Amino acid sequence: MSKIMLEVNELTTKYITRFHEDVYAVDHVSLKIEEGKSLGIAGESGCGKSTLALSLMGYYFAPLHYQSGDIIIDGKNISGMKPDDVRKNILGSEIAYIPQAAMNALNPTRKIYKFIEDVVLAHDSKADKKDIFEMARERFSRLGLPVETLDKHAVELSGGMKQRTVIAISTILQPKVLIADEPSSALDVTSQKMVIKMLRDMMDSGFIKSMIFITHELPLLYNVTDDIMVMYAGQIVETNNSHDMVFNPLHPYSKGLMGSIIVPEEGVRDQKLTAIPGTPPNLKNPPKGCRFAERCKYVMPQCRFNEMPMINLGDGHQYRCGHSHEHLKEMYADEQ
Amino acid sequence: MRRFLSAHDRKLFLTLTGKDLVHMKGYRKYFTKKVVWFLITFVAALILNFILPRLMPADPVAAITGKLVGSTTDATASARIYERYQEEFGTNKPMWEQFFTYIGNLFKGDLGTSFSQYPRKVNDIIASAIWWTIGLQLPAIIVGWLLGNILGALAAYIRKGFDKVLMPLSLFLSSIPAFGMAVILLVLFAVNFKIAPVSGAYGFDMIPNFSWSFVWSVITHYQLPFWSIVLVSIGGQAIGMRSMSIYELNADYVKYARFLGIKDKKIVGYVFRNAMLPQVTGLALSIGTMIGGALVAEIIFSYPGLGSVMYSAVTAADYPLISATTLIITLMVLIVTFILDIVYALIDPRVKAAQFD
Amino acid sequence: MKNTLRQVFHSGKFVAGFSIFVFILLMMIIYPLINPGNPLERIGVGTFAKPGTYVSLYDSVSSDRETLRLADADENRIKSMMSMEDRVSMVAWFTAMDISVEGVDMNDTDALLTMWRENYDEKARPAGMTKAQRNFYVRLNNSITSANTAEVLSVTETNSATGEVVDKGKIDKTDYVNVGDVANVKTLPLGTDNFGRDVLKELVSACGTSIWIGFIAGIVATLIGLLLGLLAGYLGGIVDDIIMFVTNIFTVIPSFVLLILITYSLGQDQRGATTVAVVIGLTSWVWTTRSVRSQVISLRNRDHVNLSKLSGHSLMRIVMTDILPYIASYVVMAFILQVSSGILAEAQLSLLGLGPKTTEVPTLGLMMNWAMLYSAHLNGSWWAYFPVILTIAGISFSMNLMNTGLDQVFNPTLRD
Repeated sequence: MSKIMLEVNELTTKYITRFHEDVYAVDHVSLKIEEGKSLGIAGESGCGKSTLALSLMGYYFAPLHYQSGDIIIDGKNISGMKPDDVRKNILGSEIAYIPQAAMNALNPTRKIYKFIEDVVLAHDSKADKKDIFEMARERFSRLGLPVETLDKHAVELSGGMKQRTVIAISTILQPKVLIADEPSSALDVTSQKMVIKMLRDMMDSGFIKSMIFITHELPLLYNVTDDIMVMYAGQIVETNNSHDMVFNPLHPYSKGLMGSIIVPEEGVRDQKLTAIPGTPPNLKNPPKGCRFAERCKYVMPQCRFNEMPMINLGDGHQYRCGHSHEHLKEMYADEQ
Repeated sequence: MRRFLSAHDRKLFLTLTGKDLVHMKGYRKYFTKKVVWFLITFVAALILNFILPRLMPADPVAAITGKLVGSTTDATASARIYERYQEEFGTNKPMWEQFFTYIGNLFKGDLGTSFSQYPRKVNDIIASAIWWTIGLQLPAIIVGWLLGNILGALAAYIRKGFDKVLMPLSLFLSSIPAFGMAVILLVLFAVNFKIAPVSGAYGFDMIPNFSWSFVWSVITHYQLPFWSIVLVSIGGQAIGMRSMSIYELNADYVKYARFLGIKDKKIVGYVFRNAMLPQVTGLALSIGTMIGGALVAEIIFSYPGLGSVMYSAVTAADYPLISATTLIITLMVLIVTFILDIVYALIDPRVKAAQFD
Repeated sequence: MKNTLRQVFHSGKFVAGFSIFVFILLMMIIYPLINPGNPLERIGVGTFAKPGTYVSLYDSVSSDRETLRLADADENRIKSMMSMEDRVSMVAWFTAMDISVEGVDMNDTDALLTMWRENYDEKARPAGMTKAQRNFYVRLNNSITSANTAEVLSVTETNSATGEVVDKGKIDKTDYVNVGDVANVKTLPLGTDNFGRDVLKELVSACGTSIWIGFIAGIVATLIGLLLGLLAGYLGGIVDDIIMFVTNIFTVIPSFVLLILITYSLGQDQRGATTVAVVIGLTSWVWTTRSVRSQVISLRNRDHVNLSKLSGHSLMRIVMTDILPYIASYVVMAFILQVSSGILAEAQLSLLGLGPKTTEVPTLGLMMNWAMLYSAHLNGSWWAYFPVILTIAGISFSMNLMNTGLDQVFNPTLRD
């Protein structure tokens, strides 16, 4: 078994609203990624996947607050560390982040190489500026980015170029975990492909040791990540390897999510296109029982009262439902 | 009014000014375009300055002659005066010819003869006043702009108590008209505490020279007008800078930089630079309004600048002097705006980027 | 709409600004009801009467008297009669007697009097003081301590026909009249101005005129700005180019220069308050145009506008239903600012001597102008200018507050 790069145990974080109400957007989430592996997180918007991305970094800004749980990066537990230590020793170097809106992620009035300098110097104040520039140049040409980009301001770059530059900057210190929050959703198809290719390439050549890829487009994950995790209302509802998640989703929500998306992949796209009725619950007052109960067509009376445990089927396959997996499979088979 | 526009508006303005740059390459074209624009605006200002007073329903020369001649009953004398002014003004010629005479005289640097201080040339009067105005207003506006920006940035960064006190205060300060501030300072410091002189730019018993006592006198007379302009401009600038900074502090790049482990000190540096740059355009766009208020403040202190010249010209119905003052003020505002535009394009890469729109 | 209004009235800043403004408006409506009459009527013959209550001296002589024996009456009388010269002389005596005058405040009557009574000695011979000077101090001391000497004023009436002087009675130091019994009492809370007008009455009227000027200027500027901004933003192309060309020119040429040229050209007789207001409006539409245009451009390609276009709705209808409601908040904010800058512009014009005709109505600017012309600021008549400055500042403060409040409601990033 290879080394575990990121392990998260029962992580809970909350937003505190203006009216001092707690909203648990990440609720007892556990996950594990091994070296060289990638994990996809999927779910509707507002399900907490972006919050999870922010929470994993171990550094919180109001209104997001840490509640409980552990984040262990390469054997080092960072959830007990002081924020300043996290910032200096973890962020950017151990765990790195690619934001959702890369369009505005770069300071418009700072040249790219200056910004890279700032990033490197923040972790190693003695680094030589010439070395940093050389390193950045090498990395950019290795990743197939034009080296002239370094001498430009962010505003002079096109959208796809900006996103790839952001990826290059995020990974400049070769982090152990890279968290990519919908890095391609705002781009056109060609740029999307280039971004994905670049991420894969970086995984293969070891610039990043492991990756979490967050998106609402499930089929994208099928191509990119080894495992897929589906989130609903702040909780994980199912984890499985990518192939099984796409072809044999077990949780009714995963199934719905698969059914609601036009999938370009052969074999998958024959499925009927259906939408999941209803809206996710309000996390200010989450329902007592299964959070998906209101929208689930297989709902049983006890689903609304019993807290749903995570059921482990082995081989990394977990799901959270009141039905047994055999019963679910039967029901799905009947429908066909 | 511009100073209260929201940060969002400012962004939009930025992109709109940026629109000038579409299809352009590099600063040289930007510069050329700004020069052309400067010239067009200048010509427009000349035309307005020429035409507006001539739209006056009554014959200006007759009105002025009437005022000058007053009780004189000698008809031939008044007719002679009338003719002479008609000649000087050129009102007996067609409009277009008048315009070209006006332009011609301007290029010869001849602004005409003052009525009220006859036979003094308008050039002389303006020349003796303009340096007082520039010397007073330019530093005052720059200092007010800097202080306002610093306070606004601090308010945005510290928030909490500082912001709670500073913002209403700034809002109130910027609500006091410049002349009001001038009167309040004058009454407090010159009349009540007697620690500053009441009026003028130097002691009334002095002749301008380079002696120490004269320079000291100028410095003491400078304080009240200077601070009244500074105080009034601080408020508006602080409010603008605050909302601009808050806008930038919430920008995505701030969050991203934090997640890369960059120190807060460095990030705050990014934010304030980015917030400050549009404030340069802000200054360019509001300088006209600011100078307007400051000129009126000059009157309160009888400061011998263009504001006071304009006041005495209006009171004495000295038409050539009014026309010349408005023209010079417009020209000054145009030049300042032009310089700020050029400087701004050099320091903010976002203007350059507008080429890619 | 209802929801927006509720949100607006939840903003503390807006409510504060709105309350100040409503207070000013109420003052404008209520005060003339309490104190009717022409605000420009000259009631005083002199200039700059101090604020306070004026009691007719003539009427109080013939009012019913009461005798009151008040312990501190003499003391008060002495104090009120002690002139600055007396005080200076007192301090001079102390100095001559080598009594430390450090920390003695000449305006502190009580302390000065106590010190005098403790130290003054008629028999003392201060060094270098002549007899004449010593006698002066004796007289001064008498006038300060002589309150108990009974002095009585006699009132006489001169018969206009015969010129005969008739004794009408005596006034004792202990005689008092009730202010309520005096036939003529006038309260001037802010005194009178250089023309002898009641400043408060004038101020209330001027405030109304100035707000009127601000509103007219605001309406003119907003209408022009809205129209040009909509045309430029929505139609785009050549129309946009032309409008923006003109707008850019007027952005750079200072509007107050235009204002001066136009108002001067109009001449004194043509300048009524409304005319000045319209001229101010005509020179200040630039910002509204730019703001509206940029908003419309960002709206122009939104889905709901495109949908209306595809549905073949008329230009008028698209503008009215799909664009105006979305920019309404900006227009309102711009209007509020136009009103307050219009009031300020009038004041500045008036200070230059280019304000509205002086014979008809007072405006805040004209009041300021008069006060400055008659050097109210140099002769201590604060009531002639300070309330005016405060009113202008108050009006624009209230408007700025309302504007900031609205801004925070409509631009959530600015919220605290």
